[in-house]
Order: sequence, then C-alpha cells, then structure tokens
Amino acid sequence: MPTELVMTHEAVPGFFGRLIDEGPVMGPRERARQPGFHHFDWLDSADDLVLEYQTTTIPPKKAFFPPRDVLFEFDLTDPPEFRAVRDATPFTLVGVHPCDLEGLRLLDDAYAQEPAEACWPANRARARIIGVDCTPDEYCFCTSVGSCHSRAACDLFLTPIERGRLVEVLTGAGEEMLRVSDVTEASDEDHAQAQQWRDDKEAAVTAGLDASPAEFADLLATGDFTDIWHEISSRCYSCGSCNTTCPTCFCFDINDEFDLGLTGGRRVRTWDSCQLAEFALVAGGHNFRRLRWQRVKHRWHRKFDYLYREFGTPYCTGCGRCSRACTADINIVDVSNQIIEAARQGVQG
Amino acid sequence: MIEHDNVSPAEDITRSYQPELARVIGKWQMTELMVLLRLQTESGENLEHEPGQFLQVSLPGYGEAPISFCSSPTQTDSFELCVQAVGNLSEAMHDLRPGDFVGVRGPYGHGFPIAEMEGRDILIVAGGIGIAPLRSLINYIADRRSDFGRGIVVYGARTPSDRLFLDDVAAWDARADLETYFSVDEPDDTWTGMTGVVTVPLRGVEIDPDRTTAAVVGPPVMYRYVAMELLAKDMREDDILFSLERRFKCGMGKCGHCQLNDLYVCQDGPVFRYTQLLGRSEAIEVWAPEEQKG
Amino acid sequence: MEGPTKRFGNKPQIAFFDFACCEGCQLSVLQLEERLLDILELVDVVTWREAMSEYSNDYDIAFCEGSITREQDIERVREIREQAAILVTLGSCASGGCHNDLKNQWEMDEMLALVYGDQAEHFDTIPSRPITAVVEVDYKIYGCPVSLAEFVTVVKRILTGQSYEPPNQPVCVECKLNDHLCVLEKGEVCLGPVTRGGCDAICTGFGDACQGCRGLMDAANVGAMLKALTREQAHAIVRKVVERYGFTQDDIETKLRIYNNWPELNLEEIAANDD
Repeated sequence: MPTELVMTHEAVPGFFGRLIDEGPVMGPRERARQPGFHHFDWLDSADDLVLEYQTTTIPPKKAFFPPRDVLFEFDLTDPPEFRAVRDATPFTLVGVHPCDLEGLRLLDDAYAQEPAEACWPANRARARIIGVDCTPDEYCFCTSVGSCHSRAACDLFLTPIERGRLVEVLTGAGEEMLRVSDVTEASDEDHAQAQQWRDDKEAAVTAGLDASPAEFADLLATGDFTDIWHEISSRCYSCGSCNTTCPTCFCFDINDEFDLGLTGGRRVRTWDSCQLAEFALVAGGHNFRRLRWQRVKHRWHRKFDYLYREFGTPYCTGCGRCSRACTADINIVDVSNQIIEAARQGVQG
Repeated sequence: MIEHDNVSPAEDITRSYQPELARVIGKWQMTELMVLLRLQTESGENLEHEPGQFLQVSLPGYGEAPISFCSSPTQTDSFELCVQAVGNLSEAMHDLRPGDFVGVRGPYGHGFPIAEMEGRDILIVAGGIGIAPLRSLINYIADRRSDFGRGIVVYGARTPSDRLFLDDVAAWDARADLETYFSVDEPDDTWTGMTGVVTVPLRGVEIDPDRTTAAVVGPPVMYRYVAMELLAKDMREDDILFSLERRFKCGMGKCGHCQLNDLYVCQDGPVFRYTQLLGRSEAIEVWAPEEQKG
Repeated sequence: MEGPTKRFGNKPQIAFFDFACCEGCQLSVLQLEERLLDILELVDVVTWREAMSEYSNDYDIAFCEGSITREQDIERVREIREQAAILVTLGSCASGGCHNDLKNQWEMDEMLALVYGDQAEHFDTIPSRPITAVVEVDYKIYGCPVSLAEFVTVVKRILTGQSYEPPNQPVCVECKLNDHLCVLEKGEVCLGPVTRGGCDAICTGFGDACQGCRGLMDAANVGAMLKALTREQAHAIVRKVVERYGFTQDDIETKLRIYNNWPELNLEEIAANDD
C-alpha cells in the first residue's frame, strides 16, 4: 500500500503555487469568458487551478500528444536538412481524473507496441502527474471498464477529505514533490473519509455497460449488427468529435507546410479521426471505409474488440466524453447496451 | 500471420518520423503517369528490404507517402521506386532529376515470405501497376533461379501503352526458365498478345496446386476474381498471397489509417495470406461480389 | 527540383478582381499586413483596385471574389479566365454560394423592381451564381470572409506547383483541435457538424455559433441534423435548445440556405443523401 498523507485545505495553494514556481504546470482551469466550463491549460498561479471540475472537452493527453505537433523542421538546402524541434522542458500535469490516468496508461501501451513510437514516451518522460478524485455525472461509466479507481501513470493522487486531501504517494517522483510543510500523517479518520468518498463515487456512477469488457468483445466479434450500425450512422454527422475528445484515440495524419519564404518548413502531425469520410481513402481514389455505417462500426470494434484483444483491456476509459460531445446524441453506453441486448436475444441485424 | 525475423527495430527512434536522405541516381519515364527512380541512400547503407515491403518517401514541403520497392534485394548498391503521378508529392517526384534528394524511412511491413516460398513453384499475378512491387519478387526469383521451382509470370495491363518495365518484361520473356503470360484489356494495332483482364491468361496456366505459391498484386477489384481462378486450380487458400493497398501515414501501426479489422496493413501486411483476409469484413478486395451488400 | 516557383518565369504577376460581393475577402487579404510583404517577395501585384491605383491586364494569377449576377459578369470572368494561367476564387460567393444567391428564390423582375423601383428598366440581373458555376477554376478558397491562413496556404501551394483541395471535414474537427467549448453546450444552434472546415473554427473560438459560411461539406449528414435538432429523442442539450427557441426544420433550412442556395437548396433531397 502506498504511503498516505494529508494535505490540509490551507496547504493546498502553497503546494501548487510552489510547483508553478518550479516550472510549467498544466491543470484544469476555468475557460476564459466561459464561466463554469473547464479545460486543461497552463496555470499562471495556484488560483487558476480548479480541483473539482466536470470532465473537460479535450482530455489531458494533449499535454503529451498535442493536437498539432511539429515533428521536425526542414530547410530546402541542397541537400535538404532536417532539424528536430522536440521540447524537452519538464512540466507537471495536475488535476487528472482516474479515467484520464487510465487513458494515459492505455496510450503508453499503444505507442510502446513494436515498433515503438518515439514522441509519446519522450513527452511522458518530461512530466510529473498528480491525479485527483472526481464526482461522476450521468455520462460517466468508469465502473464498467475498470478505471474508476485507477492510479495509473501518476506520482501523487489526491482524494477529498474533510480537512483537505488525502495524498497517496505512488512514486519516488511524487515523494520528491512533497515538502514536510505540505503534509501531515493521515489518521484512521482521514483514511475512512477517503474510503467513503471512493464508495460514494462508485455508487454515483449510474451509467454502465450491461456486459463485462470480455463478454462485450466476444459479442461484438461474433455478431452481425449491421442494422444497428445503419440506424446509428443515420444519426451520425461523421464529425469526428467522438474521436477528437477521446482519451484513448491515437490516430493521426501527417502533412508538410512550407514557410512563407518557401525556403523551409515543417512536417506536422495532427489528430485524426476514423469517423471522417476520407480517413481510409487511398491515393488511387479507393475509399476502404466509404460508408458511414462502416466507420461507426469500426469505432466500436476498435475500442471494444480489436484493441481489447491486443492489450487485454478495452480502449475506453468510461469518461463519457464522446457521448457528451455528440450533438446527435449517439451515446456510447446506450449503443453498446443496444448491441449487447441484440446479441443476447439473438436478434441481430 | 506470416512470421519474419526482421521486424522493424524500435531502437532507431530518430527514424520514427525523420527521414534519411536518398539521392536520385537514375530516372526513366515509363508511361505518361509512371516514372521509375533509382536511388541510393546518402549514408551508402543498403536498406535491405524484402520484396513486397514499402518505404515512406517524402519531399520536404510536398509530404510523404508509402511506395513499394520495385527493385530486387539482390540489387544491393541502389534501390528503385515506381511513382505514379496522382497527387502533389508524386507529381513533384516526377520533376526530380538525378542528383536531387528525397527523404526515406523504412523499409516497413512484411513482404513476401521468401524463406517458405523457396523450393516451390511461384505463380505471379500482376494487374496494372501491381507489377511494380512484383517486379522486385520476379527479379529476385530470376536472380536466385535455382532456389525456386517454376517461375510463372502473368501480367495484365489496361492498354499496351500502360505496360510497365518493358525491358524487364522482354528479359523475362526471353528466359527459358520463366514462363510468361501477358494480356491487355484494350488492345491496339500493335498488340499481338492476349486480350482480356488478367484472369484470361491466368485461366490457361497449368499448375501443380500442391507445390505452388501465388503472389498477387493489382487493383482492389482484381483480387476476388484472381482468387476464384486460383481456387478453381485447386490451390490452397494458405498458398495465395495478396499485397493490399491502404493509406499509411506512419508505417508503424500507430496512425490508424491502414487498419483492416484488427490488422494494421503497414505492419501485419501489406502481404497477407488469403486465409488471413477471408474472415475479415474490411478486406473488401476479397469478398465475393454477392457479399458486397450494403 | 526546379525550385518552388518553377511554374512561372520569375515573379508571377497577380491580380485581384471583384464581382458582386462586399469585398470583404480582399479586405481580409489586406489584413495580412506584414505577411503581405513576405508574399510580395515572391509575387508582383499588378492589379488590385482595393489596394492600389495601378492597373494591368497582364497577369498570371487572378484572385476573383464575388458572385456572377449579370450577363456582363459572365463575359468579364471569361476574359479573366482567358488571361490567367491560374484562376483562384476567393471566398464563398465565388467558390460555392453565398448571400447573393438568396435572391434566386424570387423572379428576377420582382427583384429588380424591389431594389430599383421605377428605375428597374436601366438594370439587368440574372440568378446569382458562384464563379465556379461559370468558368473552370484552379483553386477554391471558401469562407465568408476567407481565412488568412488558408489564403497563405493556397498562395504557397500555387507557387510550389501543388494543387489544393479545400478541407472536406466539418468545423467540429478544428473546433475540438483548438479545445473550444461546443457552442451547443451554451444552448446555441451551430452548423459546425455539417459545414466544411478550414476556418480553424474561428467563430466557435469566440463563442459564436457556426453560420455555415463554407457551405455544406461533401456527404454532410443534414438528415442527422434534422433528427438531432427536431425530434424528441434528440441530445439533452439540443432538446433544451429546441424548447427554448422552438427550433424547427424551417429554422435549419433558413440558416443553411444562406450559403447553400446555389444550386437551389433542397433540404429534403440533401437530408435523404445518407451514405
């Protein structure tokens, strides 16, 4: 069991203030001009940090895999020169919910698979991470995919208790972040309150999949749900928001840009989405997933079937972002349960 | 899955995205849309590809795209790429001149399983520009002739003027130890060979199904018909190898563009056994026509 | 390689022309300010009424904004097409459709009388259409007005001999990549999910709904939008919007028509086009 300490309410601002003094800190803060809505962004002071926030639109993976990422720059000399431009500045990512911690772990696995990708682990190595516990809303279903109490990828984890936060010290880096003045010993009462928080949280998760990940993977793999895919796709815009808000999506596109002087430029990696019409289009003009229903189907299989089989866990953290972001009300839990029910009844498409 | 020893090394992380330089040392315009480039890495290193593997090729500012090797691994001092002008990058590559540079990274993917093909009769079926990656295999077999049984080349093009690698084709045709069958869909006055899609000459080829491996590359629409012909010759599904085209942005099984059900074509392929594709709904090339519903 | 500006002898000569429009796209280009100086290192501007008094009919690249609304416009744009090695349409009026096309819902005589009253006989008008409907164009830049970043991209593509396909993905993609808050979360109706992107989601970045100024993207699922915004089982947030504003199919149609009325918007037909 990791060391558990207590950071009182009074000590919290000083602790985060000191982290911000030490170097860049990204965390949840209120959006400018949009009170009540939060996003992950660089913090200017401890006052900016909001530790109790509803799930952000974009997950914190953007700290390690920016939506637009310059892979390298080039000069059109003869021969051309390529120049790495990776930022190596250490930083701290704070205020990460358990589902998003799990998302980071899943991307660690995906990008580490041979042949490993280099940018993700390089950026992950730059950061210390502090997780915080959360309050679920009606879209959350972390209990169905095992991410509810994840402590993956983080160095410290904070759980609300009456007199402040219970601090789980999970790594040496986490230990190093703490000063004696930040924390005190945790009492039995502190432990009990933190446990109560976890129990309450788990009970507050109302949405859920009607099958275990393993069973769901099997049902998807063996059934034919074409009719369901057709119905869902008739409501789907193919806008890609389910992908662009997903903490486990890792697909990307790569394109070149010239500088305006046309003497150099850069190669840029951008988040991509398998739901977009041209995702599987090849140079010769053939589109291997031309129809909307094929793309919708692909997303479910990739999350719950293909990557489940590859990595032993669904590539879904139950964060509910895709459902919140879908302006056509395609809810990942509802659709999954529709599939599960159809499969069990043998009423397949 | 086809097992290979030389899975791309993870340790060379600088090559994740940043290419190395290769210099154009020869260029031949084969048809209006197709150019053949001969290249050498600036480091002088042999890329050590297998027939059927591909390379990510780029021109800074114009982008990057996967291109199959069309030269045999037995050609060690240089390698060749066949480039069809279909977009900004490939059109810019048509403007390259000897001495110019391109960026390359790779090779990527699994090519033809040479080791298990050795000793067997090899039936090569090429449709259109599918001849490019297969030229790598054909010339390899031609150079290592005693390692293989019969060498049969069936090549169909749309018109006589779309035919590629005419020098190679003539050389294969002239060899007594290679059997060649050529056809075009739309003949002109100069054409004296067979008329029809590639399955027409294929139908006339007699093989021993127990000792034949087929290597097939062509446009998506071709695969299912070739498969039917090969099965009609009593070939085993496991002995039929298809190389598939998908969009590869990374070559490392990460960008997601080439995913075919649970497979990444850039890593698990691009060369697959027919058996691997049959159970996979997104291998739409191999579906029988009546299965193409909705 | 022959170098980036291989398509032209030296610095290509460029010209700007306007047809029926607000000239806001040209104005936007002027707002490039210092970046304009960088562009002038690569090209010579020989004609640009909004920016200079010199004029020349000898040019390689023509940027044309505005809609074709009179017979003489057709003739003029054909002449430009004849002269220009490369013709670029600047903005939605010229590239796909814009406010001007709204007049096509009425008879032309009616329109003339409404606008010019008893002087109507001195004017002529034809149904409004984008330049792309009249002559072949080499590059299209959508937007009302154009995005400066996209304009610069197209200039670079032209000068390096590359084609440019306007993005065919909805505004939502760039909205999310910029980590903007979904406008629907604020209870506003946004055309982002069906509208061609490329604007870097500038409007939603300022908290405004997408007005659909780049027109519908290819294969836009308008049917999905009708289902989402008008039927009972719509998204909870959308349902609130429907309750608050009484959002109807007509409202969507009216909003879509502004940038999609060439050829005439047929909502039923578009909505049925569900691939």
